Amino acid sequence: MKSSDGNQIKLQPMWRKVAYGGRQSGYDDNYTDESFLEEMVMNANVVKRDLLKVMIDSVSISQYLCIVALVVSTWTLTLNLDIDESTLLKLDVGLLLVGFWVLLLTTCPFSLKLLTKYVLNISFFISGLYVLAPIYHTLTRSISSDSIWALAVSLLLVHLFLHDYSGSTIRPPGALNNPKLTSNISLNASIVASVLVASRLPSRLHVFAIMLFSLQVFLFAPLITFCVKKYHFRLHLLFSFTLMAVALSVTYQLHRMFFTVLLALLVFVSIVCPYWLIRIQEYKFEINGPWDEAKLCFDITE
Amino acid sequence: MDGQGTKHRILMVSDFFFPNFGGVESHIYYLSQCLLKLGHKVVVMTHAYGNRSGVRYVTNGLKVYYVPWRPFLMQNTLPTLSLTFPIVRTIIIREKISVVHGHQAFSTLCHEALMHARTMGYKVVFTDHSLYGFADAGSIHMNKVLQFTLADIDQAICVSHTSKENTVLRSGISPEKVFMVPNAVDTAMFTPSPKRLNCDEIVIVVVSRLVYRKGADLLVEVIPEVCRLFPKVHFIVGGDGPKRVRLEEMREKFSLQDRVEMLGAVPHAQVRSVLISGHIFLNSSLTEAFCIAILEAASCGLLTVSTRVGGVPEVLPDDMIVLAEPAPGDMVRAVKKAIDMLPGIDPQIMHLRMKELYSWDDVAKRTEIVYDRAMESPTTNLLDRLPRYLTCGSWAGKLFCLVMIINYLLWRLLEFLQPAVGIEEVPDIGPLHAHLGSRNDEAQEK
Repeated sequence: MKSSDGNQIKLQPMWRKVAYGGRQSGYDDNYTDESFLEEMVMNANVVKRDLLKVMIDSVSISQYLCIVALVVSTWTLTLNLDIDESTLLKLDVGLLLVGFWVLLLTTCPFSLKLLTKYVLNISFFISGLYVLAPIYHTLTRSISSDSIWALAVSLLLVHLFLHDYSGSTIRPPGALNNPKLTSNISLNASIVASVLVASRLPSRLHVFAIMLFSLQVFLFAPLITFCVKKYHFRLHLLFSFTLMAVALSVTYQLHRMFFTVLLALLVFVSIVCPYWLIRIQEYKFEINGPWDEAKLCFDITE
Repeated sequence: MDGQGTKHRILMVSDFFFPNFGGVESHIYYLSQCLLKLGHKVVVMTHAYGNRSGVRYVTNGLKVYYVPWRPFLMQNTLPTLSLTFPIVRTIIIREKISVVHGHQAFSTLCHEALMHARTMGYKVVFTDHSLYGFADAGSIHMNKVLQFTLADIDQAICVSHTSKENTVLRSGISPEKVFMVPNAVDTAMFTPSPKRLNCDEIVIVVVSRLVYRKGADLLVEVIPEVCRLFPKVHFIVGGDGPKRVRLEEMREKFSLQDRVEMLGAVPHAQVRSVLISGHIFLNSSLTEAFCIAILEAASCGLLTVSTRVGGVPEVLPDDMIVLAEPAPGDMVRAVKKAIDMLPGIDPQIMHLRMKELYSWDDVAKRTEIVYDRAMESPTTNLLDRLPRYLTCGSWAGKLFCLVMIINYLLWRLLEFLQPAVGIEEVPDIGPLHAHLGSRNDEAQEK
């Protein structure tokens, strides 16, 4: 009996993983052999991460937190009339020149035509802003101050949460990929917050100066930092740490609670989150196989 | 075993049935017809379609209950968890059902009917017709529902081995409980053209919905390249959908108005006339559990070019299909290979081979074996079934147990309000051919 069973097993044709031809002789339809789930791949896209590298990557987020903290500090000092409009205007011009200079240094293709185009665009922009300043000045006259502050803080939080930390919303000319929807929402939130804060200042020139400052930072700071990072990573790190030191010292002089919150945030982003990410990676469980929907290898241009 | 087993009384349940049309609908219909021919009693339960509500009899006396339940999303009924219990119970008792067979993981009526039938102690079988992923929110939710339904299933059926692997992973059901019974094709409906097409002009046919999952964007890339490389090639594209505009734009962009013909939506009755006007059938789906369209094309004698996705590699022998990765370059190479193979293809021989490879009678016989296996499984009561639901997850398991306990209490309440003995049972008409036989007997007696 045993030997005959062995002979029968040998005589059976091999089972094939095919659907045609009806039920395969000698095998039930629920037959499962060792090739079952053979093509399953687990955690194909998982990247082994190093703690130091993750911390270095998180510097971009810390950097931008410091930039926003500096903007908020400037707003606060201006609202308290510690900074007058002439100082603010000098700061605006200084930032503009430094930004241009960094952009020229880090971007290879330079031409007079491009520079002229930039100057013209900036001039139109500044003129438009100057003309609109009286409107901003009286925009929220009928709204109470605590509503303004609450709205501004909320919008800044939206800005920080939806911000694109890996690139910049304003692309260098000729860049591919359009900005994402969340990135646009983030930028708009920051601009609206700037308008709300500006509307509480006493004079039109003040409004113009603070609006110009805010727009310069929110629109172009991500572009500048992105170019610096691409140009030289070590310089990017140096700039980031310098920015952190400046931000912490300014906020320390301004408000102890603000300083504490900023310091806690920086520690959380730079140390706690990277450690947390690496710790939680072991729970990653991803299944791929022939049943997955195929991914197209080209972009769909609607 | 075959032919000698007991006759089953099967209730097919799904949200998808005629007059709606698709793979699930035709599967249920043809399977039911062939089971009727084998001597079983089959009843179909689905929701109301427009004015079609109540009981209908279709071909060969197949009884269909169009339950007065409105679809609310893509022909799916609203998930009510328990509101379908009274009518499901009434139908099961009236028709003296022995097996409840649910179809399609995306059908809420199917899941609810299987749950109620299990509560009442009946055997249940489930057929899965689609592939689902694991990563997006919709799939995660759907997999949990499937895990709940299959935790206590008697037997399950998948339409391909890849689909079986997918279902086992998604639901955690034991592989031994899952049978691979494929779809089939009605070869009598899909016959080749009596006159063989000449190869002076090569016609490539595409018949599918023009949506992302069917790879319409892939067609937009492949068709211009094939037309550029092979001046003799013409395309016929049948089907409608949101991506149709992109194909129209592609035609205008590359000036292919005279070489790419867009038919729009093709009624299923006219699919054959579209297929027999071509030499090659092109399928660009990004995901398929089985793909009946390939069978229909092969039955009409067409050589197939298809993306290598899901269960497609299992569907046809290698000399009847050319597989390609879902990338434009590879698809173009596959079309070239198919054009080179074309002189050796005889549509009539291919049709005869399809008759042997696939038939709904064979599917019905294999499904009958699944029913026999389900009837052999031991009957369990509520206490035996609850541990199976507990294994579904630390939180989901307890929730599932709670749902089943409530469902059981509801059943007892229904038994109290409307006892089973009080429900009028439907008299058996018997199969029509048997009826005709008895009529002949009466004539002989006279």
